[in-house]
Amino acid sequence: MNHLIVFPVAIYLGAAFLLPLLCGKNDVLAGISGIAFTFLSLAVSALLGISVFTGGRIIYFVGGWTEPLGIMLMLDPLSCLFLLLTNTVAFIIMLYSAVYIKKYHRAVYFYVLFMLMLAGMNGILISMDFFNLFVFFEIASIASFIIVAFGLRAEELEASLKYTVISFIASSLILFAIAMIYGLTGTLNIPAFMHAAAHLPQTHLWFTAGLLLAGFAVKAGLAPFHAWLPDAHSMAPAPVSALLSGLFIKIVGFYAIIRLTSNIFTDIPQIRTILLVFGIVSMLLGSFAAYGQNNIKRMFAYSTISQIGYCAIGLGIGGYLGNLGVLMHIIAHAFSKSLLFLNIGAVEYMTGTTDSDKLRGLNDSMPYTTLLSSAGMLGIAGIPPMGNFWSKVIIIIAAVHAGYGGIAALCIIAAVMTLGYFLKLQRTVYCSKKEGAVKKEAPAGLIAPMAVLAFMAVFAGILLIPGIREPFIDKAVDVMDNFSYINIAIGD
Amino acid sequence: MIIYLLVALMFFIGLYGIIAKKNIIKIIVGMNIVGYAVNLFFILLGYKWNGIAPIITKDMPAAQFVERAVDPLPQALVLTSIVIDLGFAAFLAALAIRLYEKYRTFDTDKIRRLKG
Repeated sequence: MNHLIVFPVAIYLGAAFLLPLLCGKNDVLAGISGIAFTFLSLAVSALLGISVFTGGRIIYFVGGWTEPLGIMLMLDPLSCLFLLLTNTVAFIIMLYSAVYIKKYHRAVYFYVLFMLMLAGMNGILISMDFFNLFVFFEIASIASFIIVAFGLRAEELEASLKYTVISFIASSLILFAIAMIYGLTGTLNIPAFMHAAAHLPQTHLWFTAGLLLAGFAVKAGLAPFHAWLPDAHSMAPAPVSALLSGLFIKIVGFYAIIRLTSNIFTDIPQIRTILLVFGIVSMLLGSFAAYGQNNIKRMFAYSTISQIGYCAIGLGIGGYLGNLGVLMHIIAHAFSKSLLFLNIGAVEYMTGTTDSDKLRGLNDSMPYTTLLSSAGMLGIAGIPPMGNFWSKVIIIIAAVHAGYGGIAALCIIAAVMTLGYFLKLQRTVYCSKKEGAVKKEAPAGLIAPMAVLAFMAVFAGILLIPGIREPFIDKAVDVMDNFSYINIAIGD
Repeated sequence: MIIYLLVALMFFIGLYGIIAKKNIIKIIVGMNIVGYAVNLFFILLGYKWNGIAPIITKDMPAAQFVERAVDPLPQALVLTSIVIDLGFAAFLAALAIRLYEKYRTFDTDKIRRLKG
């Protein structure tokens, strides 16, 4: 059973290698095998999920080589929650891309890059070693740079250039921090580092934590480091935007920040204060900047910055409520934001533009797409009973409990602003009148995956019902609250 | 100590190249310099003066080996990191060619269609 832990990575790496060999130029076959591989990985994650949520964490030594020689992998309820989320949403996005990708030539390379991104993301979730984490981080990142430029239009290349250069600085900082860690403690294994770090001077830990935080904050798109995000997320092909916004920034960036804050550098509570500041800045900046956008995808990208700000605020507050709010927000936002990007992708597929000045009367021409878009928008804006409503309420309650009344007020203001720009979009683009609108609904292959995501976005709040919450999400919150890698015994 | 300061200087020279230069090719060179600086720093952490390659032979006592051999782990890690840097450089060079085809320039000030 424990051997299953390597499969979420191995399946995707194998798929990335096999797809061009098996499928060649046959795009239909490539799509079907892509769906099959993602489904396989989803099934494995579900098995792992059952095992982890009933039996506790799995620790695995690759090749049977124990610490300190071998590579250690771990899956605990927190990473398993992210693993399930990643593979579920990735499977739905894959179903969508199999239809959508007809727009592009050489679809098989799209699937290869997509698989590499997923392999890197799953790898980050199971790594227990700083350098291993870095390598998976780079696999996911480099695949994402290439896939952002997949359309080869001038703007896409420009977005990819910006994204690559900024990300390179981030990964240099992370590698620098890893070198510091190795130089200071002589180990890269996270539990062993924790044991050695207990004797280190505070300044050294501060320096390392700062470098790591800056590096991962770039990937998470937190406000002072967000410059690449609106370009890359708005220019990528729609399924990739959905993957980048819904999952990528949360796994590659924010999951690492969660681990750093609550499990690794537990002695430095100042990180939480920094995260609060980053969170407030991102939340407000994202909300304000979203108003001025004509490109709808760009508006969604700014909305992502604003929503990741909520996550950072929740993590900055901490405690049971703050952590629960963060996890709920990540889950609900992954569903709603993927839905919105897939939705605007369907509009682009049918009309060829995402410019809000040119699109009018979509309600008449694409009624189902409009319905699903309103589900996503109301979800992100936090209208009850959508999942995001509950997560925002929990974060606001946590802020009030912790004595941050001002932050709670800012959260409410940002939520109202989010509703504001989405309503403006609904009014001008979807529910306006257009002379002679012809009914051109998106194909059912695009509508069905969106409908599944919309269903999940609406009912994500079910996770909070006590009977479901305690065996599932509460265990993940418990990892954030009480677990430290130092609790894992290391052999000698 | 001074060698670490020189590595830091190299890092900042590369960073200056990335931030201040407008030509994509110069930015790529700056990125390579940053990458080399970080790799060099990593190697230096495992280096010993007058060290020998970490290969043990039959006629060498174990104590002497431990004393003189350099730490091989950073070298193995840096090898991986060099490959990652190569990936970055190769991708950016390809991207620069494509960008030149579209914009007819390497100047990042003129490659500015995305705003706001």
